[in-house]
Amino acid sequence: MRAFGAVNATLLVLLCVLMLYPFITVLAQSFSSAGAINAGKVSFWPVGFNVDTYAAVMSDGTFWRNYGNTVLYTAVGTTIAMVLTTTYAYVLSKKHLKGRNVLIGIAVFTMFFNGGLVPNYVLISSLGMKNTMWAIVLPNAISVFNLLVMKSFFENLPKDLEEAAQIDGLGWYGIFGRIVLPLSKAVIATMVLFYSVQYWNDWFAAFLYLDKSELFPVTLFLRNLIAGASTTASEGAAAAGTTTALVSTNIQAVTMVLTVIPILCVYPFVQRYFVSGVMLGSVKG
Amino acid sequence: MSGAFGRMPIGATRREFIGVSIAASSMVALAACSSDDGSEVDIDEQSKGAMDDFAADTQFTATEPFTLSLLWTEWPELPIKDSWTFFDEVEQRTNVKFELTTIPFSDAVEKRSLLISAGDAPQVIPLIYTGDETSFVSSGAILPISDYVEHMPNFQKYVEEWDLADMVDNLKQADGKYYMLPGLQEVSVPVFTLIIRKDVFESVAGGIPETWDEMREALVKIKAEYPDSTPLADGFEAQSMLNYASHAWGARAGWGFGPGMVDDGGGKLEYTAVTEGYKQMVEYFRGLVADGLLDTDSLTAANDGSGGGSVAEKFANETVFAASGSNGTAIEFAQALNETVGEGNYEVLQIAPPGGPAGQVVEPRNFWNGFMLNSEITESEHFLATLQFLDWLYYNPEARELLRWGVLDETYTKDADGKIELKPEYSLNAFNINPDGETDIQEDLGWSNSVFADSTESRALKESYNPSEFVAYIDAVLSTRTPRDPYPPAPLDELELEQSSLLATPLKDTVDTNTLKFITGDRDIAEWDDYVAELEAQGLAEYVDLMNAARDRFEEENS
Repeated sequence: MRAFGAVNATLLVLLCVLMLYPFITVLAQSFSSAGAINAGKVSFWPVGFNVDTYAAVMSDGTFWRNYGNTVLYTAVGTTIAMVLTTTYAYVLSKKHLKGRNVLIGIAVFTMFFNGGLVPNYVLISSLGMKNTMWAIVLPNAISVFNLLVMKSFFENLPKDLEEAAQIDGLGWYGIFGRIVLPLSKAVIATMVLFYSVQYWNDWFAAFLYLDKSELFPVTLFLRNLIAGASTTASEGAAAAGTTTALVSTNIQAVTMVLTVIPILCVYPFVQRYFVSGVMLGSVKG
Repeated sequence: MSGAFGRMPIGATRREFIGVSIAASSMVALAACSSDDGSEVDIDEQSKGAMDDFAADTQFTATEPFTLSLLWTEWPELPIKDSWTFFDEVEQRTNVKFELTTIPFSDAVEKRSLLISAGDAPQVIPLIYTGDETSFVSSGAILPISDYVEHMPNFQKYVEEWDLADMVDNLKQADGKYYMLPGLQEVSVPVFTLIIRKDVFESVAGGIPETWDEMREALVKIKAEYPDSTPLADGFEAQSMLNYASHAWGARAGWGFGPGMVDDGGGKLEYTAVTEGYKQMVEYFRGLVADGLLDTDSLTAANDGSGGGSVAEKFANETVFAASGSNGTAIEFAQALNETVGEGNYEVLQIAPPGGPAGQVVEPRNFWNGFMLNSEITESEHFLATLQFLDWLYYNPEARELLRWGVLDETYTKDADGKIELKPEYSLNAFNINPDGETDIQEDLGWSNSVFADSTESRALKESYNPSEFVAYIDAVLSTRTPRDPYPPAPLDELELEQSSLLATPLKDTVDTNTLKFITGDRDIAEWDDYVAELEAQGLAEYVDLMNAARDRFEEENS
């Protein structure tokens, strides 16, 4: 048993190092000089320690404007998504509801079929949402996976509580707001985490629907910085990459670090809920 | 290492996926909205703002102001700043205001396809290289601009003056029209070629090689002097080196592979990757690898500037002495050498691509990026004015100088001989000009931006901002090398285009993979015939027939 424990621990530590190594390298690069990175000297510790790059990136107006956009999109998106998902899930959890299967079917249908890229694009632009925040926050406001997890959570809440509340004179909205939601903190915390990470990381919707760089989220700024520097697709692209100064690796690293910090800070505090949240759909009460 | 992190495999897959899905869905979407009924546009009715007396080499100023929507690619290191004077100056001179649709450089091609496919593209679509327009032709989304070039006097003039008419003819699609206007180059030299350590080549190898055989001898000598080195490298996944080297064997490879067709000398097209010349080229590079003269890492890795094992680093550490690159790469190598060998202790030189069995030849004369127009522009009342404006912007020498250098006597001066000099308070860091100047005309003012400035260039303009080494390179290429004849055009119609892409893509993949395998020695060159058989099994004959039929038809229609 002790041998098993030792092997187990070693394996897990190794795995842990494997997962952490890229993060640590990026962190080390962000504090290193460009010369040291180009010479391939940086792995675990910063070489040629400096914070000039941080100062440079942080004084870039576009970066902060895009950072602010990300915060805004995440906050608004998560709020809308939570309102829609909880109310939808609550309705679906009521087995006596007429047409419940149709409502579930509508949601599940979108898991298997979608309109495709160009039709979606045409739809969003005909709805007049192009170049607005709504193109980012509305299309993915209900994640069907999250919806189903939440539905099964609500189904497992004791019915008696709601009946008691009904007898005491609460209507459906009262029951939902005063009884059900306070009892669902675990699932709500999990979903908030899911949605906010989704909105925070999303660059694709912004890439499709936004044409003004002052509206871009920071992820798109980051992608342009990182992917833009490495292109060998054609002679024209390669020439464009070399005639203009390449974005140096430490700037890329700093931007990456600054972008993941908020999510990294929030994660440990909601992890408790996160673990219980993952179990939600699987354990029947 | 950063290399592993900078080029996320997931990102790459996603990107390819986007590319494929946009291409696939655009077919469907475009088929649905082809509404081009071929009706003639009455351009005189749509001449609001146009000048009556617009002619070559005159200033265009719209008689009434109007707005033009423009697809703007944003480079990460060159964001538009409030301090930019570029847009204001153009508007002040021409009365034309740009309305921008900004797309990030990282996914510019995908977004462009999406916008065009969805019918949402801006009126002017810049940064189009020849061939980029082909996939949009059948949809009717792009204006057949050849119908309207009569209204573009500057374009006409410089095509004539720089002897480009034949090349413009080769832009024609299957319907006999062309859909993009390229950036015209008075002189065209290969953008990518070899960058060498001149001092080492002269002291150790006895001079600068003019042919690939001489190059081999030189590399052997350098290897003897620096035993730890592998003196030759690419750094662009072999695409660059094979591109400029292939011409010496009469083949096409790498970035220049295109549809893979070369003239067989008897009026027919043949597939370059099965020709004797191509085989000899592969054998040559195989020989270099076998003798430890060619760095194989650099044939699979991309030079993405993320450090750690990049070619620039090897160049700086004197394990590589000749590598692929453009004039920009030469500057990059020089900066890296400053750190290690020290300024003044080395010389970096961009040399003309070495010759070979096919003679002292280089790639055919080339265009650079130009533009296409959204076909909806024909409904604009400013249609004629737009044509005149773009003709001025892209082809008028004064406009080209403005786009590169800014405002005359404000940011730069020009003496009686036409020599351009940047004023001391301004810099152009991308080309190492006046590094001490306070204001960078590119970063702070928007001149020399990559969207417009590189396109059309006279020789004088090209030489004005490039370092003297590059000017010497232009001279070397023009005086000692002959450009190959242009590849015979074989434009495909809509159905053929679909067929050919089904055939050509797997063929090209087989060629790319096996070319590298042969060169690195993973596959024995004795298996060449098996390789040819593999291509034939993938429909090579059918593809060649298709291309030959298209070529015959084109010649018949245009003779």
